[in-house]
Amino acid sequence: MVSSFCWSCMTRLRPTPRAVLPPPVAAPRAASFHTSTVRYALPAKKKASLDGPPKFREAKSARMKKKKPVEKSRPPSVGERKALRKRIVLSNPNALEVEGMQDLSSENMVDARLRGSVLGLPVPMLTQLRAVEAFKPKQGWSIFRRPGTVVRRETLELGRFIDGISNEGKDKGRSAKKIVTGVRGSGKTVHLLQAMAMAFTKQWVVFTVPEPQDLVIAHTSYAPLSDDTPHLYVQNDATAAMLSRTVTANEQVLKNLHISQQHPALKSSAKAGMTLEELAKLGIQDPAIAWPVFQALWSELTATSPAPGFDKGFKPRPPMLVTVDGLSHWMKNSEYRSADFDPIHAHDLMFVRHFLSLLKPGSEKPALPNGGLLLYATSASNNPTIYSFEVALKQIAARQAGLNASAPEFPQADPYSKADKRVIDAFDSAKPTIAKEGILELQTLGGLTRDEARGFMEYFARSGLLREKINDAWVGEKWSLAGGGVIGELEKLGRRLRVVN
Amino acid sequence: MPPRLNLFNARAAVPVLRHPSSNISRPSIVTSIGINRPTSHGLHPGLPSSTRMDKRWNSSASGGDGSERPKGPTEDPLPHVSEEAAEIAKIMNKKCDGTAASPELEQGTPVSEILQRDKEAQKHMPKVMQDQIKSSTGTRSFSTSTRQSQAELHDQGKSVDEQTAAMVANMISQVNQQAEELHPGLKFGPVEPLPKTENFRTRYDSLLEQFTKLLMTDGKLSMAQRNMAFILDHLRTASPPQPNPKRPLLPGPPAPQLPLNPVLYLTLIVDSVAPLLKLRQQKGLVGGGASVQIPVPLALRQRRRTAIRWIIDASDKRRDSHFAQRVAHELVAVAEGRSGVWDKREQQHKLGTASRSNLAGNRR
Repeated sequence: MVSSFCWSCMTRLRPTPRAVLPPPVAAPRAASFHTSTVRYALPAKKKASLDGPPKFREAKSARMKKKKPVEKSRPPSVGERKALRKRIVLSNPNALEVEGMQDLSSENMVDARLRGSVLGLPVPMLTQLRAVEAFKPKQGWSIFRRPGTVVRRETLELGRFIDGISNEGKDKGRSAKKIVTGVRGSGKTVHLLQAMAMAFTKQWVVFTVPEPQDLVIAHTSYAPLSDDTPHLYVQNDATAAMLSRTVTANEQVLKNLHISQQHPALKSSAKAGMTLEELAKLGIQDPAIAWPVFQALWSELTATSPAPGFDKGFKPRPPMLVTVDGLSHWMKNSEYRSADFDPIHAHDLMFVRHFLSLLKPGSEKPALPNGGLLLYATSASNNPTIYSFEVALKQIAARQAGLNASAPEFPQADPYSKADKRVIDAFDSAKPTIAKEGILELQTLGGLTRDEARGFMEYFARSGLLREKINDAWVGEKWSLAGGGVIGELEKLGRRLRVVN
Repeated sequence: MPPRLNLFNARAAVPVLRHPSSNISRPSIVTSIGINRPTSHGLHPGLPSSTRMDKRWNSSASGGDGSERPKGPTEDPLPHVSEEAAEIAKIMNKKCDGTAASPELEQGTPVSEILQRDKEAQKHMPKVMQDQIKSSTGTRSFSTSTRQSQAELHDQGKSVDEQTAAMVANMISQVNQQAEELHPGLKFGPVEPLPKTENFRTRYDSLLEQFTKLLMTDGKLSMAQRNMAFILDHLRTASPPQPNPKRPLLPGPPAPQLPLNPVLYLTLIVDSVAPLLKLRQQKGLVGGGASVQIPVPLALRQRRRTAIRWIIDASDKRRDSHFAQRVAHELVAVAEGRSGVWDKREQQHKLGTASRSNLAGNRR
């Protein structure tokens, strides 16, 4: 067959541009005339894929893609969470104002007709009560319009006692020492609060230790008292904090009192004519001398007459209220360590030792010579179990009942249980020799009576928080549910929301 | 065959059966249809009291105790057409100029009707008519009235609805009456059933329990309960919500009263943003393996669950340090119409409306 192209045409054909041609196969060049090697060659390796066989020492199990953690906006600022936890709210503007609710005053704190009703705390006093940390965060103040407390039997007794000491009469200058116990939620802390409120209305000086635990868990600084007594320790920051509480709460009283003694420990900083407020502020400004300042303040407040040379403008000192809430933390070894790394007993801390020494009767003058009240409460919710403290409390109760310590029925510590002798000795106070000083007593708070419980529940209903018909049957039911009127449980029942449908 | 007692047809009588809602002391969202119970307050005023089973049951209303019979919905006697026309003319305040305003007036009213309503004219009516009236009051030697048991034989003209409604009302009133008679003999009142929340297993409100369990993580229920208590306390103490008129909460007590009943407040918030439907991806409806969305209605609990999930999810974007505080703030934001949960709900409803058309394919 003859080609239709002539030779000249064929020769004039240009070579096809390279780009159009398929690229030469990247086969081995050496034997390009063979085709079999290319065909039988191993297939080109795939790129590493997930479903390939495992490599050497590689897991075959399916790999999940890890979720990236969601970017949180920012952590809460320092102290924000603690502030929220420790926040104390005393008012709820949504709750109804209870009509006819009286304020606590010096007149009605002895009024037996008010038993079972709720008395409001006066609004100006709230700053003082806040200063001495009378309110605790977990108490239910925040759901009511304004804070108020129930007048129960013990409250009236307390009111009469405080009223008697403050007024001119045979009870003037008396002092009492009580350890308040009771089951959980029985109102021990609120009992202390009521005592503080009454003391403030009567212009007493109030010292409080709201959290005894804070002193023994090694969270504040400590130092040996002096070279002479290396086994005793002071806590300057905690002391300064207490001075600060005391000054804020009792400013009006301390402003009017002046120094009546020499204070050699303070050297020149305590000048004659200084008010006690200024004296206490020395310790707040310089925590290094907080402990001597506290001792000076205490000796001033317990003074019955001025020292020679300080006669000018001496005023009789007011009675004092001392409260400690949660005593049993002080009855064991603290978390502090001595220089030899031995645990320090809580009674070796000067702060603790001072407040416990008040329980002992004074030798020539009472522990509180101007009268007053020591109220030391135990705690039932944050409470280390200390056997010797339990025995000590039993012994106080027995002594109060008139049992002699040598009597066979007198409760003694089990000799095999390694009771702490120091704890038992701390509460082993003999009968006081001075008439005005009371014996150490044990006061056990129980439940409310039904009438008091009814008044309490009516307070809930009148605040608009409880939607029930408050009658005797209903109150009786709740009284029983609350373990015989334990007020903390009653409060839970009162604020529990029951929706009937 | 006797007509069956059909309660669904007896719609007209249901208002009679309902409790007056005024005795419900607290506002509730779901109005319950009360069951007629004998109470110490006596019978409910809406019910005719002295109906008895053996009463006359025919349609004529001329009987002496006919007025005591319960009236059906259509039994309200209408005036004659001419009277109605005259009334209308009066209402329209037309001057009477001798010409009749309507054909009814033109044709006039039968004399007997005029006499029936005009006592004065009755005295002067012709003697023939007076005699007729007198003779009609006489007794018959046989009864022309029917008993209720025979009603179905004769009353074919009456609608079944009317009969059943009357019968139900009749029966209920009878039972009430019996209970009422029995009551003074009882030493104690009837025992009311315990409210649901009195049982310790169901002591919390149902929504409260659902919300608490949705707050729970890692099975820590008591932690969730603590959070819930914080939330309720926050609702109780926070200032009352400023309602947004565009996004109102469900009807309930006015906003300033809400904090005093935090459970109701919470319920209103959750129910207000609860969606009515969810969207389901369904494959194979249109063929080709494509999936389409179809709207599916939700039950109450499911609706609430969705709303609570949305609220908790939205609260995660807040900056408060505590979880409970975040949720509490989000709840108040929902109550004030500020929250994004409302947008979510609107979006869901919009999509649901749009995807209704996909349901047609399902039916093919």
